Amino acid sequence: MTVPGWRSRTDLLVAAVILAFCAIVYGLTYRFDAVPVALMDGLGAELFPRLVLGVVALMAVLIALGIGITPMAAPPPVHPMVWMTGGAMLAFMVAVEVIGLWPTAFLFVVGLGWLWGERSLLRLALSAAGLCAVLYLLFVRLLGGTFPKGLLTSLWS
Amino acid sequence: MDAFFAGMGVLLDPYMLFLVFAGTVLGIVVGALPGISGSTTTALLLPLTIAMTPAAAIAFLGSLYCAANFGGSITAILINTPGDPSASATAFDGYPMAARGEAGKALGISAVASAIGGIFSVFVLIVAAPLLARMAYQFGPPEYFALAVFGLSMVAAIGGDSPVKNLLAAALGVLLATVGLDLTTGVERFTFGAYALSDGIEFIPVLVGLFAISELLEQAAQHGAVQSYIKLKKVELPTLADFRKCAKAISLSSVIGTFIGVLPALGATTAALICYNETRRWSKHKEEFGRGAIEGVAGPEAANNAAVGGAMVPTLALGIPGSTTSAIILAGLIIQGIRPGPHLFTEQPTLLYVVFGSMFAANLLYLVMGLGMAKLFARIALIPATYLWPAVFVLSVVGSYAPNQSMFDVWVMLAAGVVGFLFRRYGFSPAPLIMGLVLGKLVEETLKQSLLIFDRNWLMFLTRPVVVVLFAITAAGLAAPALLRLWRFWRASAA
Repeated sequence: MTVPGWRSRTDLLVAAVILAFCAIVYGLTYRFDAVPVALMDGLGAELFPRLVLGVVALMAVLIALGIGITPMAAPPPVHPMVWMTGGAMLAFMVAVEVIGLWPTAFLFVVGLGWLWGERSLLRLALSAAGLCAVLYLLFVRLLGGTFPKGLLTSLWS
Repeated sequence: MDAFFAGMGVLLDPYMLFLVFAGTVLGIVVGALPGISGSTTTALLLPLTIAMTPAAAIAFLGSLYCAANFGGSITAILINTPGDPSASATAFDGYPMAARGEAGKALGISAVASAIGGIFSVFVLIVAAPLLARMAYQFGPPEYFALAVFGLSMVAAIGGDSPVKNLLAAALGVLLATVGLDLTTGVERFTFGAYALSDGIEFIPVLVGLFAISELLEQAAQHGAVQSYIKLKKVELPTLADFRKCAKAISLSSVIGTFIGVLPALGATTAALICYNETRRWSKHKEEFGRGAIEGVAGPEAANNAAVGGAMVPTLALGIPGSTTSAIILAGLIIQGIRPGPHLFTEQPTLLYVVFGSMFAANLLYLVMGLGMAKLFARIALIPATYLWPAVFVLSVVGSYAPNQSMFDVWVMLAAGVVGFLFRRYGFSPAPLIMGLVLGKLVEETLKQSLLIFDRNWLMFLTRPVVVVLFAITAAGLAAPALLRLWRFWRASAA
């Protein structure tokens, strides 16, 4: 992961992104509500975040200058499976709103397991059912939690 | 003494004993699963503790913390893949031992050394934590501010590939802690009008996302990797000759491991790596190291478990986490409405004896289980990733949603997971961010209180001796790597 030399394009890119982030967040501190006059003697709400942003920016500058870091090569491209797994997570979030948490959880365990290479759907289905049953007993029956039922389930009932 | 008996009374309740047992079993099992570290396990199971009493929660988490470090050694020895980062040094000699047919012996010495290191550190915790708390009892906001800054500066040594990146991550954690209502002025900060952010960012979704979801994405990138497993016949108790050979390694590592654990932010992984080197340095059989030296297993295992008790010393006495996992436990206590610190020792001594007792019991329990059931734990550790990680995701969603019954928290968890993944990809460690998030409020509150006391005169900090000492240690710690590099450069130029 490391390259010879005292700075790398990856570190410069990382530093640039962090500095841009600092600039945006610093700008946001100007949008805080005005402090009531009675509290003006104290430390304003914006001072501490600005101090911390100063530290973050200073560290980003050090990274850009290659001080106190091991220079870093560009990481390899993100594996396609990471994108697919991320997509499955987003699909999970959408599906929860439609069919509810437990059916979505069941489908997710089966679907992601299949995506990652397991070809026995029966075993995946059994493990998904077992997991959902354990979590349902623990979080709903024992701890008394309620979980999203989803639009379709709500319409059905 | 009343508090001791009250604490033991609480701990001997069957429900509490069950929690200690469950925490130990879960700690070993999940600690043994490659990719799921003790920190991830603690973060994943933190939502369960919300419904518990503070004593039950800390007994459960304490047992989990103790056992996870030992669990990590099982896979380090059998498949050369540490279940927990703290067991990485164990693999150096544990796997070669297993490869030449001594897996049972390696697991046996690992269990015994872990228990000795762990129990030693619990005794240190019992003695040192009250002493430290007594010292800190006179601390005011300026001293706490300096202490928190010192704790944050120590994260420079945690992980990732540079101190600067670690400090940056810690500062981002502190920044994240400023989200929500400013308690002094009542001004909302970075909430973007979202009601869910008024009380600040919830710990649980961030912890779960940073550890579990980012690791899930990492595992997705490695999917298809094949692990070779060395079959275990049975776990063997170390012989007297083994003990004689390892006695120095275990005792030295227990002491060093506990000391490293006490230092804020430095945890079991650092302790194990340092003690592996120290064990080799003091060994009469240096040539055996890396080829299956039994001392090479005993040393790091004693050290990483000793660091657990050590890490709880500043966590309980000062409210400054001694490691990443203890930062998560600290977050769990804050959620329960308890802020550890010197006052805990006078206000809730019973709770402390529950902590001491449960950690002591967990160390004995995993010794018995490690010797008797390692074969079973080893099999569980080989659950295929295709079953394990989808289940981790579902548990993460349920755990993040449950405390506030809020899908917003699940989105926060996912966002934290992506941030954690990007962090790892670009050489940052997520652990300093957690430290910053947990300590952020303390840093801001104490800074504000100090400046009110000092009438906004920053130089007044220098009138407090403890503050000056802590700032000096912080500055020395931060400057040390640069000075060391300069010194090496100067010596190389001179030669």
